[in-house]
Amino acid sequence: MAKYVSKLARREFLKVSAAVGALGSSGLINRAFAAGDTVNFMAWSAAVDLVKSHVAEFEKSIGIDVDYANAPWSNYRDNIITKFVGAAPLDMMWVSDAWLPEFADAGWIAPINKFDNLMKYNDEAEDFCNDSMTYKGMQYGLTYYTDFMAFLYDEDALKKAGIDAPPATWDEVTEQCLKIKSAGISEYPLMLALANESWLMNFLAAMVYSHGGRFTDEKGNAAMQSPTEGAVAALQWVVDAVHKHKIVSPACVETGELTGLKAFQSGNHAFALEPKYRMRPINDPKQSQIAGRCKQVLMPSSNGGAHNTVGWMRFHGMSSATAANQAHAERTAKLIEWFGGRANGAYKFQKYLFTDIGAGFGVKPLFNDKDVQASYNSYADVEMIKAQQALALKSDVVTPWYGEWQETNASSWQAAIVGKVSPQDAMTKAGDKWDNLKQEFS
Amino acid sequence: MSGFYTGLKYTLARRFNYEARSAGLFLFPVMSVLAVVAVFPILYSLYTSFFNLKLTRPHRVPFVWFDNYVKVLSDELFWESVMRTVSFTVMSVVAILILALFIALLLNESFHGRRFISAMILIPWAIPTVANGLLWKWIYDSGYGALNGLLLQLGLIDKYVVWLGDPDKTIPLIANAFVWKEVPLAAILILVTMKSIPVDLYQAARVDGANLLQRFVHITLPSLKPGFMLVMIYETMMAIRHFDLFFLLTEGGPADASHVLSWQIYVETFRNLSFGTGSAMSYILALVTFALAYAIIKMLGRRI
Repeated sequence: MAKYVSKLARREFLKVSAAVGALGSSGLINRAFAAGDTVNFMAWSAAVDLVKSHVAEFEKSIGIDVDYANAPWSNYRDNIITKFVGAAPLDMMWVSDAWLPEFADAGWIAPINKFDNLMKYNDEAEDFCNDSMTYKGMQYGLTYYTDFMAFLYDEDALKKAGIDAPPATWDEVTEQCLKIKSAGISEYPLMLALANESWLMNFLAAMVYSHGGRFTDEKGNAAMQSPTEGAVAALQWVVDAVHKHKIVSPACVETGELTGLKAFQSGNHAFALEPKYRMRPINDPKQSQIAGRCKQVLMPSSNGGAHNTVGWMRFHGMSSATAANQAHAERTAKLIEWFGGRANGAYKFQKYLFTDIGAGFGVKPLFNDKDVQASYNSYADVEMIKAQQALALKSDVVTPWYGEWQETNASSWQAAIVGKVSPQDAMTKAGDKWDNLKQEFS
Repeated sequence: MSGFYTGLKYTLARRFNYEARSAGLFLFPVMSVLAVVAVFPILYSLYTSFFNLKLTRPHRVPFVWFDNYVKVLSDELFWESVMRTVSFTVMSVVAILILALFIALLLNESFHGRRFISAMILIPWAIPTVANGLLWKWIYDSGYGALNGLLLQLGLIDKYVVWLGDPDKTIPLIANAFVWKEVPLAAILILVTMKSIPVDLYQAARVDGANLLQRFVHITLPSLKPGFMLVMIYETMMAIRHFDLFFLLTEGGPADASHVLSWQIYVETFRNLSFGTGSAMSYILALVTFALAYAIIKMLGRRI
């Protein structure tokens, strides 16, 4: 009998183990534990320790449990879309402004307009941040981080070439590059990173906006192919820079943002287009050979036009499934406020992010914070940053078909740069693709 | 109910003997796993290919019959990708066959250090594919790459050359990296075939006065046909479906210079999240691969 009982117990144990294993591997246990009052928060794996400590502070101060998970940026979009489609528990998540239209149209994320505790922060946020979080008249979150494409230069390289002031227009950029090149200071004075990667669109948009052009018109139709108001002039400038003046390396089409950054840090170039937050590592003696020499100037304009650049932002959003449950939505809104608004009266998380990794913020009051000013001024000019950020424009190609169009747009730019097609033909191809996709999606 | 089970048991026992039943029983677990992880996804992707399934439009997934196949086959970029894939495959397979033959001939000889050289030759094959891709990315880099450094030191170039950024060089350079990785396995397969050629044939040919070239052309090459066929089929399939190097080295660029079929499937499926057209493309690629393998077997097989 004892033997029988022992055998039975062993069998039961094996059955239970198998069931637990199966549940665990399918994620059901996590789901079960994370259900209820817990707020499920998904982010990409940036500043993980910082996020964890801010979550812990929230749990302690507000008394709501948070289940925090993260995934690498490279596959975050796929990861989160799979979660939405599979109806995985997800309440708050980081969202890129580039994904807003497709996420909103798919009904995955919900507007936050009904939450007064969140909407009150709009007055203190940069206008283009509020614009970037708004789709079809509704706002979908609070800012997490924002930045813009900056025009940087190596002060010493300019001095050696006898140049007194940095360029204000793209024509002056050409002139100064030629001067630097002929002085033997740099073979390719301007660094442009135009490899087909996620950064590419920001480089292209900065070039186009600073040339006074746009990719689309007010109705959202393609305008990029217009020879006067589109992207053709900007692309022509790049093509001339590579082939006619030879001031940009023909290898720019295989140069990614990180590789370009390293080359600029090594002192190979006099000018560079880089995300503004890169100024910190560029001016850090431990990481850069041009530390202390890198300065920022307003994005060159095209013959007296505005010094516009492109700005981008990421925000804290709420899932539609969560918004449908009022009590849980209110809990989630508290977490969104804790991260994107004030936590115990201060913009703590955005300040932490800035002081920890140099990530830009989208809330104006932080510019007056003494710690922030001191940090900025140790490697950059805070007034210049404020001035350029005010001239940053929201990307005009953020639509549900953006990703699909960008494949064609990127290859069109590259085809023109390597001399396979003319800039006009390249932009016409990109414009046709845009209009076809717009029609398909409507 | 018990009558039904007894009937079923009797029918099975009559149709399958004890050994067949035992084999079926032992195979059942692995066949079940294969059905779940291989057969079902393959059939499900076929089913998916008949829908306009775009993950970002979850509420609009119409059944479209063969529209995805028509859309893919009428896309200009698809045919350009096919041509690039063909060009990459021909370039790679020809180079692999020639190099593998020479290496096999070398390793078939007896000389001091043969074992060491055999081990050295296998190294590229042992390197993981991703590591291989990153290695070549460093070699080809236009700014700090080893290739430019070497050529400059040898005085063969006077300034750094743009390698992967030049659309005319992209496919040959990626093919070179692919060949480097694939040649060792091909050489071993050909060497194994070479070892199976009876020595008597060579001795008889010598007696008949055949010189080295004649022995190679009339004995070695014809006897290597099974090995060649195996290498050709395997490497053709590998080259047609190859993705890793295109992903790691160029991401389909510059412009569309390395936009091959496998890359297009990746972009369509995982970047555009269009699972319907992505599945249709995958089936077209699978059919083309099968057709090619069949053609090679028919062409070379009847001569063996």
